[in-house]
Amino acid sequence: MSARTERRAQAVAVETPFRRFASDFFESRIATAALAVFAVIAFIALFAPWIAPTDPYDLAQVSVLDSHMPPGAEAFDGRVFWLGTDGAGRDLVSAICYGLRISLGVGVMSGVIAMAIGCAVGLAAAYFGGRVDTLIMRIVDIQLSFPSILVALVLLAVLGKGVDKILIALVTVQWAYYARTVRASALVERSKEYIDAASCLALGHRRILFRHLLPNCMPPLIVVVTVQTAHAIALEATLSFLGIGLPITEPSLGLLIANGFEYMLSMKYWISVYPGVALLVTIVSINLVGDQLRDVLNPRLQK
Amino acid sequence: MQFRNLLIGCAVAALAAAPAWGQGGTLTVGLKAEPSSIDPHYHNLGPNNSMAAHYFSRLVEQDDKLRLLPGLAVSWKPVGDTTWEFKLREGVKFHDGSDFNADDVLFTFERAPNVPNSPSSFGTYLKGKSFAKVDDYTIHISTERPYPLMPVDMAAVPIISSDVGAEVGTADFNSGKAAIGTGPYRFVEWVPGDRLVIERNEDYFDAKPEWEKIVFKPIKSGPARVAALLAGDVDFIDNVPPIDIPRLKGDENVQLSQGVSSRVIYLHMDQYRENSPFVKANGGGDIKNPLLDVRVRKAISKALDRDAIVDRVMEGVAIKAGQLLPEGFFGVTPNLQPEPYDPEGAKALLAEAGYPDGFELTIHGPNDRYINDAKICEAVAQMLTRVGIRTAVETMPKAVYFRRASRGGPDNSPEFSFILVGWGSGTGESSSPLRSLLHTYDKDRGFGASNRGRHSDAEVDKLIEDALATVDDDARLKLLQGATELAIGRNQGIIPTHYQVNTWAGKKGLSYTARADERTIAMGVTSDK
Repeated sequence: MSARTERRAQAVAVETPFRRFASDFFESRIATAALAVFAVIAFIALFAPWIAPTDPYDLAQVSVLDSHMPPGAEAFDGRVFWLGTDGAGRDLVSAICYGLRISLGVGVMSGVIAMAIGCAVGLAAAYFGGRVDTLIMRIVDIQLSFPSILVALVLLAVLGKGVDKILIALVTVQWAYYARTVRASALVERSKEYIDAASCLALGHRRILFRHLLPNCMPPLIVVVTVQTAHAIALEATLSFLGIGLPITEPSLGLLIANGFEYMLSMKYWISVYPGVALLVTIVSINLVGDQLRDVLNPRLQK
Repeated sequence: MQFRNLLIGCAVAALAAAPAWGQGGTLTVGLKAEPSSIDPHYHNLGPNNSMAAHYFSRLVEQDDKLRLLPGLAVSWKPVGDTTWEFKLREGVKFHDGSDFNADDVLFTFERAPNVPNSPSSFGTYLKGKSFAKVDDYTIHISTERPYPLMPVDMAAVPIISSDVGAEVGTADFNSGKAAIGTGPYRFVEWVPGDRLVIERNEDYFDAKPEWEKIVFKPIKSGPARVAALLAGDVDFIDNVPPIDIPRLKGDENVQLSQGVSSRVIYLHMDQYRENSPFVKANGGGDIKNPLLDVRVRKAISKALDRDAIVDRVMEGVAIKAGQLLPEGFFGVTPNLQPEPYDPEGAKALLAEAGYPDGFELTIHGPNDRYINDAKICEAVAQMLTRVGIRTAVETMPKAVYFRRASRGGPDNSPEFSFILVGWGSGTGESSSPLRSLLHTYDKDRGFGASNRGRHSDAEVDKLIEDALATVDDDARLKLLQGATELAIGRNQGIIPTHYQVNTWAGKKGLSYTARADERTIAMGVTSDK
């Protein structure tokens, strides 16, 4: 008996859907590591004000006299800049912690809001069908036919700078993906008997939609959430890199990278490279988790 | 052994022939900004004026220090109190072979102030003047009051050919059809965003420039421009980012040229609104505009560590400023020095003015106009925050910024409360910034056109107006110095931070005469041979 079937056999004894899901998920070491890394990043992001040595957004704590110091350099007050400082004199360790906070916050928040909108719209399209479906899905088609970066650029040009504006732009470009995913799986579920049964019981539309249909559309949705969150983080970084996202005194990772870009030729690599690594690690870990979720939740790949 | 000698011989020959440029070659120039049009009278803007200087001549030319030189006019002198006489150069031919004479000058002066849709007009130099042709090579220009700056104004307007006809439009220049001048180069083609090509005018009336053909390439991003030079894609670039200067200095294949510009970077404060939109009490409530109080403005000046701005933000490539023009220009007063850094003094002044805990402020600035403009805004915000004035920073592209800064508010008033701006004195004397930045705003008379803080002082106004009507240089100097001392030293009407120093870079063996007007003029690029 191989180790795997043995573990399976043990699991069967007390098998709940979640346990089975968890054991399938942790079968991949890479995904487990990625989840651990993501947990650390999320922790740093959540508790940045307590972890970071300085507040990089408080101008009174930042001085141009400390600008572009190399990693390991000492400030005049004896602090050590482990990853160096950027062009405005911000400690890069602190700036990266706070940058992660903005990037993750914006990514997750926009993902959740876009999912709520997308789910409601997609479910309605699948459930009611007919004209409602046609109308909604054509809007989705139009939305998806524009590159997301273009839509976001135009929106930000009109709305101006700020975290709230970035959120609006990201939600606008993302909801259509959720709507399309949810509609596809809801269409399949809708033709199944349990929905007919629920209809025969004369349950209300809302109850059928959210209590019967939605839970059964969850697996693909969870995968899309992870992929889109990573996408949103990358998009926010891109927008900041182009200089239209956030104010320069409150840099996110993308803006830190953009600021460091102009120092590249003069060999002050650390201003761009370290925030870049942080961004890369974040996005890759989310994507690895998402990949494993897709494998685990996809019935066609079920072992 | 013989084979080896042959190899060495080849190498030596290759080295000797290495510079692709040389007498009569092609020069490729990487520019930070390309012109918005080839029409020399469409937009009074740095890149447009730089480019126009290659294919159009002016009555009076300016050298690298903005001193006046004969151009299409060989001499000029005042005749009577309010009239100037310009003697034109004979035997000059336009690029199409036609002769230049007084009719072309009058035609130009008729057209230049009236170009449709001009974002910034040449009317500044021509309005309020009347022009008369005396003979084919003599013209008279009259004003209502004595006007000493006439020759300087004439150095700003490129002369076009009257043969292009009164109906000529900006598009005719862009296509090249009407781009017919008398300059050292003739216009070949312009592909916006890609290249502008010019060829030497073999019939030029003055000394012929070295290069047969010039290709200008716009490369907006600083690092990309430097990389293009290092990779050999271009021979010469302007606006070298200060951060890259130490590296380029150490590169033996690159040669740098540097010069102080006549551009001062300064802070302008709202000095006329009781409730200024971007000044708040601590916590965000409304307060009476503290910037109205001269002690607060003085405190802001004391709070600025100008040495830190110069050393850390500008990488040492700038000069700290205490007035409108750097040492050596006309109108500079010996009595004004840059305000020393004194944060304690600043706090004391704030307390004296009734703001012991400071207030909240937003600084607005461009992010693509001056060298490191956004970074300077950020550094200023840090310094002010440290003395208690909590300062937020908002920067934006110049296309948006200048419109909002000049007339973005209600009734076309300036929108912002506290801004970072620069002023380059094209005339090379302090009357230019004084009349535009510090004279009371008066649209009809053309005073205070860029006075976005609306500084207003009758005493200063009178000194400026007297200076502008005084032809005697010594008397004018006294008036200009007096006006500067009052407007900046006493009133803190604007707070100067530094004078820009510009850097150009070329391949080894190419030198450039750095110009105070910051222009990149290919005639100034010379090879060492």
